[in-house]
This record gives sequence, structure tokens and C-alpha cells, in this order.
Amino acid sequence: MPTGKKGQPPAQPRRDVLASLKMASLEQVVARAALPAEIMSAILDYLDPVDLIRAARSCRLLHEMAYDDTRWVQRLKRIGCWDETDARKHAEKKFGTVANMDIVEAQEGVESLTGPTPAIEVNKAAISDMKGVSDGFDKIDLASTVPPPDVVESDLEDPDLVVLKQARSIRGEARQEYGKIHGALAPFYYDITQRGASGDSLVFSKYQDPQSQAQMLSQLVSFSKSDVSQGWSDRVNRLEEALSTFERAALNEFRKGYESDDIDSTMKKYAHVLFTLNGGYSAVDLFIHHNHLVTRKTELGTVGDCLDGLTGQIKIKNTQAFLTRFSVAYNEEVAIMNRVFPASLDMASAFMEKVGQDVLCPFFAAIFDELHRTNMESYLTAISMTFVQCMNLSEALLPIRNAGDHFDRYLDSIVIKIYEPHIDTYLAEEFAHFKQNAEGIVRDWDRQLSEQAASTESYLMSNVNRQADKRDFLTSFKKVIMMPVSILPSFSAAKPSDEIKSDTESTPLPAGTRSPYRFSTISSPAPALEIAPTSELAAKAAIMKSKMEGIRSLFSIEIALNLVHSAKSSIERAAQFVRLGDHFGKAAKHQCAAIFVSLLRILGHDHVIAGFDRAVDHLSSYRPREQGERDDSGVEPLVTFLELVNVGDLILQMVDVFYEQELVGTRLTDRGDFVDPAVMAKKKFEQILDERVAAGLNKGIDVLMEEVDYILATRQLATDFNPGVSSDPHRQTMDVGISDAAAAVVDVVSSHTRMLVGSTDKSTLDVFNQEVGLRLHTALCKHIKRQRISVEGSLKLISDMNHYFKFVQSLRNTELLVYFKAFRELAQIYLIDPSDAKELATIIADADRFDGIWRAEEVYEFAERRADWFQVKRDVERAMYGIGCSLM
Amino acid sequence: MASPIITLTSSDGVDISVDRTVAERSVLIKNMLEDLGDSGEAIPIPNVNEAVLKKVIEWCDHHKNDPPTAGDDDDTRRKTTDIDEWDQKFMQVDQEMLFEVILAANYLDIKALLDVGCKTVANMIKGKSPEEIRKTFNIQNDFTPEEEDQIRRENEWAEDR
Repeated sequence: MPTGKKGQPPAQPRRDVLASLKMASLEQVVARAALPAEIMSAILDYLDPVDLIRAARSCRLLHEMAYDDTRWVQRLKRIGCWDETDARKHAEKKFGTVANMDIVEAQEGVESLTGPTPAIEVNKAAISDMKGVSDGFDKIDLASTVPPPDVVESDLEDPDLVVLKQARSIRGEARQEYGKIHGALAPFYYDITQRGASGDSLVFSKYQDPQSQAQMLSQLVSFSKSDVSQGWSDRVNRLEEALSTFERAALNEFRKGYESDDIDSTMKKYAHVLFTLNGGYSAVDLFIHHNHLVTRKTELGTVGDCLDGLTGQIKIKNTQAFLTRFSVAYNEEVAIMNRVFPASLDMASAFMEKVGQDVLCPFFAAIFDELHRTNMESYLTAISMTFVQCMNLSEALLPIRNAGDHFDRYLDSIVIKIYEPHIDTYLAEEFAHFKQNAEGIVRDWDRQLSEQAASTESYLMSNVNRQADKRDFLTSFKKVIMMPVSILPSFSAAKPSDEIKSDTESTPLPAGTRSPYRFSTISSPAPALEIAPTSELAAKAAIMKSKMEGIRSLFSIEIALNLVHSAKSSIERAAQFVRLGDHFGKAAKHQCAAIFVSLLRILGHDHVIAGFDRAVDHLSSYRPREQGERDDSGVEPLVTFLELVNVGDLILQMVDVFYEQELVGTRLTDRGDFVDPAVMAKKKFEQILDERVAAGLNKGIDVLMEEVDYILATRQLATDFNPGVSSDPHRQTMDVGISDAAAAVVDVVSSHTRMLVGSTDKSTLDVFNQEVGLRLHTALCKHIKRQRISVEGSLKLISDMNHYFKFVQSLRNTELLVYFKAFRELAQIYLIDPSDAKELATIIADADRFDGIWRAEEVYEFAERRADWFQVKRDVERAMYGIGCSLM
Repeated sequence: MASPIITLTSSDGVDISVDRTVAERSVLIKNMLEDLGDSGEAIPIPNVNEAVLKKVIEWCDHHKNDPPTAGDDDDTRRKTTDIDEWDQKFMQVDQEMLFEVILAANYLDIKALLDVGCKTVANMIKGKSPEEIRKTFNIQNDFTPEEEDQIRRENEWAEDR
């Protein structure tokens, strides 16, 4: 509340308002109104400095209020030449830690304007003020002044031109500082506000040099900010008018300079003039908007140049040429910029944005739109290729001064801006394109398959070392995958091979896959070879194909290769965008993963798994005995199947390499991330493949055993083990060779088990072998029980059994070995002479002998197959039960 | 919405009825009404007489639809407003009345009115010599001639151009 100056009641705090109301009395009539100090002070705020000083001369109170430092500090602040930190530093230096408390207090008193008893402090404040005047100057060192301006030398000639820069921020001396500024600038200010922008106003008549004129005008603009007395807005408007007239003139000169390529004198001069005037943004604006780079952009190249009108292909060389020309032009402009504009002016981002928007954007947009309409494939390649080109561009561009670290960021943001509108469509198209393509390949293949399904299939059973082949194949596959991204064919003629390579990789293979199926069985030279594959992979694939001719009917390694290939190119194209980071980077990553997943789905489920299913079907419907004609090589569907397992495994490994190389290697996905769709899809694929293999093997074993049974039933001659019944008079009495049947069985089984080696993992293999062994064992048991074996024939049996044993040994399965060892032992019961019935009985009863494989009853059953059983039966039984009795 | 009428009692005991919205231009009255509620009783304004109170109410009535002043930022307030035409006419009163209005505005806490008053006074000072200023404000010259001279010397920059 107001503090009374003369006869006013004491201040009433607002919260006691009721009390004050009650105390209200009629004595309050004010005879002669005078204003309290607070209001006087507020009034002084509205005075311009000249009036203020005059008011200060009227009495002590007003003098004290007018001299109040904060009032002047505020003016300086408005002008913009008061530096608070500087002032604080200065105060600390001046007053130190102990200091003259009087002065400090006085200072504080002055600062807290609304002190309750201002009148008392008048003297003190005035004195301290005057002290400041008398001794303040000596103490000021240069460090406290604003560092001398680095602008133009001519400034220093006239102190008026730099008066703002030289103003110091010292508490207690703000009035003096303001005085200096006022003295220097007020004449110009009032002159220009009265006369307006005419050329004969004081600023222009006193200073000839545009640089100085600009300097003074910019100071006046700052100064005008401190003008708050009545009518200020008119004055400021006038000043601004004058300023803009001047600016227009300067800008005009600047433009003329640019158009006549007078870079170092006119342009530079006026750039600096405009910079001093108001930061030079108008010059930057003009430069950017009328930039030669933009106005002459057609010289860089046209959209039509970059498109091949006939094929709709993009001409990468032409876009590159466009970008090269662009970078040259750009560098020229940057050079001009660096020469012309003052260093502190930041125009990099504005310039680059403008250039990006006006030159690059429309150019690429036009290309992309055209391609999108006419040729999808070319669109896809164009997007990622030009993207890479743009990214490479950054190396060719000169950095703009001051841009520093931001330069790359600016550039990136511009590239992003160019691609922003296309990126989503692109990613979607890329995915769709891949999917459509892949599905097309598979469907095509299926169709061809069904066309030739009627024709008989013959299988090649080449006894090649598949493991070595596969390893070989995979190595070259890996090599190709690891080959540096060939998205952007290099333009240096030095390495044309790259280009050819990337071509041959994609073109000959599809051709290779389609043709041979039509001509089928003749193992024609792989067409891929005819084209003389330049890439190692293509060659290997060709060899592989001819070797695996046999199983092409179910699924094809080449198809897989094709699919993986198109996935690779799609992913690599899309992966270019990952480096954009942020939203687009994520989207790109996501899309890469999606492509991989769909690769797995199409290759895995639609192709490989379907093939496996067919093979399993085939196996289960296979009836060896119904097959009229047989060849020796083996059970056809099983062979097919085992080959399939091999190929499936190969494909799996291929996918694995691909995954490692393309997705993990390039950090598109994280291997450890279990919820990642790519990882999940891959796991699932592996799992399904394993399941199919297992199911197939199960069926395979059934079929294999049927074959074994069949061989044993048809090939084992009655005379093999019982030569006595033979009618052949010339028979050798002691034939110790193996029988045909045994040899055939072992051949069949071993050929199949061998085929699996290296194609599936060891545990599957072990399980398979064990199962085969056990089933073989059962089959042999049954077989023996069907035979009649004489002592003489037992030698053959023993050698048969040894043969089986040797085979089982090769399986390296100790458990199985026991079973076949038992067979060997068993065979001996036929060797015992009929006279030694007792011995026979001992052997039959001795379960340990057979490692517990058979019980005595079972061995007894075997013994019944002796040709002379009825002769020895009684003795044996007696011996057995006799022994049994004695035991009891 | 029709605003309720409240009654103010001036220091010389005259009741004046006024719209509440108009009266609430005064922060003092506004706060009081908010704190105490509208009891229907006349609100005494002990520091302001009838003539001045009527003058102030006239101003408030004219400015009742003004947007609220933008905070306490002295600088922007001072910078953005020149006295508008109506206010200029309004302030064409004798000096005593002008000061009374300023004091009343200060007491009733009507910032905008106070500003207009101060500006008007500032315009009165403008261009006057120290002696004229003293006369205007009824101030005694308490300087010695030396002191006055010293001040002038200190501020030579402010001498007439």
C-alpha cells in the first residue's frame, strides 16, 4: 500500500481490510493531493531520458529516484548491451569479499527501489554514485569490456559506430554508460525519426560507407528498443522504414553482384553490410532462393535422360552423372557462400534444405513415379540404388563452414526428405514383389512337375560323396552371400566383372531350372553350364544339380537358390534404408525380417515341406512286391527320400548361412531375440523339417524292411542251409561263402544307411540305425525260423551271420552289436553234431551265452530248425530236463 | 448474464450503485467480494470521495470489457500501450483531480487506470524545465546551486540538442 508522503495514513495491509474500513473516518479528506514516491517513480518510468535528467534537477527526492541505477540498467538491457554475468563479475572484483560495507549496502539500497524510507538514503546513494564516477574508470580493465568487434576495421575510426559494443556492464555506472550511448546515438535517432528514410538524413550524410551506415542503423534499432515514452511506436516505425529502404538497396546491390558473378567485391561487401544491419538473413534468403543451382537445375540433367524409354529401366549411370554434376554445382555455390558470407552466419541447413527440396526432390520423385507406373522391378532397384548414390554424395560435397558435425545430419535429413514419401510404398512393394516372385517360381515349378508327373521317373544313384559335395557347395554359397553388396554396380571400368556377376547370378539360374524338366531323364548337360557361369556359385549349382538330378521331381535346390537369391537382393535393397535410423530404419528392418519370414514360408513350407510330404506319401504307398521290375540299386522311394533329406538339409544350411550373413551379420535382427519373427520362423522351419525327416524315416524303415523280407523270402534258397536236400550232384560239400540273400540284404540296407551319413544330425542317424538294426534282427529271427538247417549248412549260416555282424559293426552302435553277436552264437547250435545232444542242451539252456537276447524257450525254437531235430530232440530234451532235474 | 448490482460508499458517505463486473476492475474490491461474499451491504471506500469515485467508476465502466492485463510484466505493459483517445479525453481534468484519480486507482488497485494516470503525468513533465517541474508538483528546490550544477554537468549528454 502506498507509503504516505505528506499527511497520508499509514499503509494498511490488504488482509486487514475490514479493520481499515471500520477505522474509516471523514478526516481522510485530502486537501492538496501529492503523489507518493512509488507513484512518482512509476511516472518517471514513462519519461524519456532527457526529461528524466531534468526532473532529477528539480529536487533531491526526484534526483535520487531518477539516478536509481536499476532504471538505467533496465534501459541498457532493453538496448541489449547489459551483461548480467559481466556485471556480477565486475561487482565481485570491485567489492571483493570484505569490501566497503557501506557501499555494498548503499548499492543494495538503491537496487531495492521501493525501500520504505527513500528520502533518508538520498545522500548516501548520491555519494556512492559520485564515487563511482570519480574513481570507477581507473579500475576498469579491458577484460571487462566486450571484446573489440571483429567486423570491419573502418568501424574503429568512429567511436559512435561501436558505442553499443563498448558499453560496459557495471552496477552503479549504468547511467553513465547510457549517457555515452545516448550521446552517440540520439542525434541520429531523432533525426531519422523526424526525416524518415530520406537519403539526406544524418546517418547517410555523415557516413558514406554502406558498411558504416549499416552498423549505425543496426545500433539505432537496438537503441530504439529503449524508447518507451509517448509516441515511440511512430518513431520506431519510421526507423524501420528507413532500415528496410536501406536493406532493399543493399540487397539489390548484392543481387547484382551475384548475377554478374562479382563475388569477391560486391557480393562480399553487401553480404557483410546486410549482416551488420540485421544478421544478413535477407541476403541469405535471397542467395538461397535465387540460387543458380536451383534456377539452372535443368542443366544438371532431366528425368528423361535417366530412364530407358524402351525397357523402362533406370539408367543408373545417368542418375550418377546427375548427382555428380549436382555435387560440382553445389560445391561451387558453397565456395561462393564461404567466400561471401561472414563466418558466423549459419546458412548450411537452409541452403541444403532448399537445394534438396527444389532440385533433388522433384527429380527423384519424377523418376520414382514414372518407374512405379511402368516397371516395378526397375522401381525397386532404382529406389535403393539412388539412395546409395545419395548417401555417397555426402562424400563429394564440400562441407559448409560452421556446419561442422551437423553437416552430416543435415544431409541425412535431406536424403530422408527426398525418400520420405517413397519409402513406405517402396518397402511394401519390395515385399509384395518378392512374395509374388517367389510364389510364382514355386507355382511354376509345381505346374511343370504335375505336367511331367505321368512320365516315369528314373533316379540316378550316383555313389558320390555327398558330404564333400555339400560342403563344397555351401562354401561357394557362403562366398557369394558374403560378396559385397552389389546393389550399386561400380562405375569405374576397372571392375566390370562385378556387374556381370550380379547379372549372371540372377539370370541363368531361372533359365536353368525350367528347361531340363521338360526333357527329363537324359542327364542332359546342365544348361547353366552352357552359359558358362562366371560366378562360382552358379557353376557349383550346375554341378550339384546334375548330381542330384534324381530328386528334382520333389523339390529343387535351384529353386531354393533362386528364392534365396531374390530374397537376398530384396533384403539388401531394403536394408539400405536401415541406416536412416528412427522410424524408417525400423520400418526397413521390419520389412527385411518380413521378407526373410516369407522366404522361409515359401521356400520351406510351400516347397520343401510339400516335397517331403509327397515323398512320405510316396513311401507309404510303396509296395515292393507289387513292383514288377526291380533294379538292384535299392528301394526307389526310400532312395528318393534319403536324397531329399540330403537336399533338405542343404537348403536348411543355405538358409542358415543366409540368415547369419544377411540378417545377423548386418545387424538386421538379433539372434538372441526369441520373439523376433525371423528367428521364430527359422526355428519353426527347422522343426518342421526335422519332423518331416523323422516321419519319412519311419516310413522309410518300414519300406526297407519289407524289401529285406522280400529279398530273404525270394532269394534264400532252401539248399543254402540244408545242402543235403539238394538234387545237384555236383555240389561242394563244404561251401563256406555267404549266401546270395545275405549279401543282397546287407547291400540294400547298407546302401541306405550310408546315404544318410552327413545329411542329418548324428542323433537322428543313430536312432535310424538302431531302428534299422533292430528291425533287421527281428526279420532275421523270423527268417531263420523259417529255414531248415543241417550241420553242413550251418557253416554257411555262420558266415552269413558274420557278414551281418560286420555290417552292423560298421554302424558303430554297440547296443546293436550285442544282438548280432547273439546271432553268431546262435548259429553254432546248428554246428553241433547230433551225437552231442547234451552239449546242445547246455547251449540252449545257457542264457548268458546270448546276452539275454533270447530266453531258453526261444533258443529251443531255433534249435527246432535243425534238419535233424527229430533225431536229437529226445536226447536234447532229456538232457535239458535232466539237467533241469539235477538242478532241482 | 445480468451482473448483480453492488453498492459502494464513498468517503463522504454517498452510496453509489454499480455493476459488480464494473466494480471488479478494482482488484481490491474484487478480492474483497471473493473473500467475504456479496452480503448486499454497501462497501465503504474510505479513501475516495464521491467525485473521484464516480470518475473512477466511469473509467471502469468504459473499460469493463478489456481483457485482463497480461500479468505483472512492467516492461511489456509500458511498451505496448500508448494512451488511447478516450483515455486522453478522460484525463483532461484539473491536476488535482488527476492526482486524486491516480491515488484512488492505486488504492483500489486498478493497474490499467494507474498506468494511464502515470503516463498522463509523464506527458505533463515532458519538455519542462526543472523549475517548471517543481511548480507542477509543488516541490521545494532543496539543492544548493552547486549541486544542481554538478548534476547538469554529469549529464551533459542530455542537454538540448
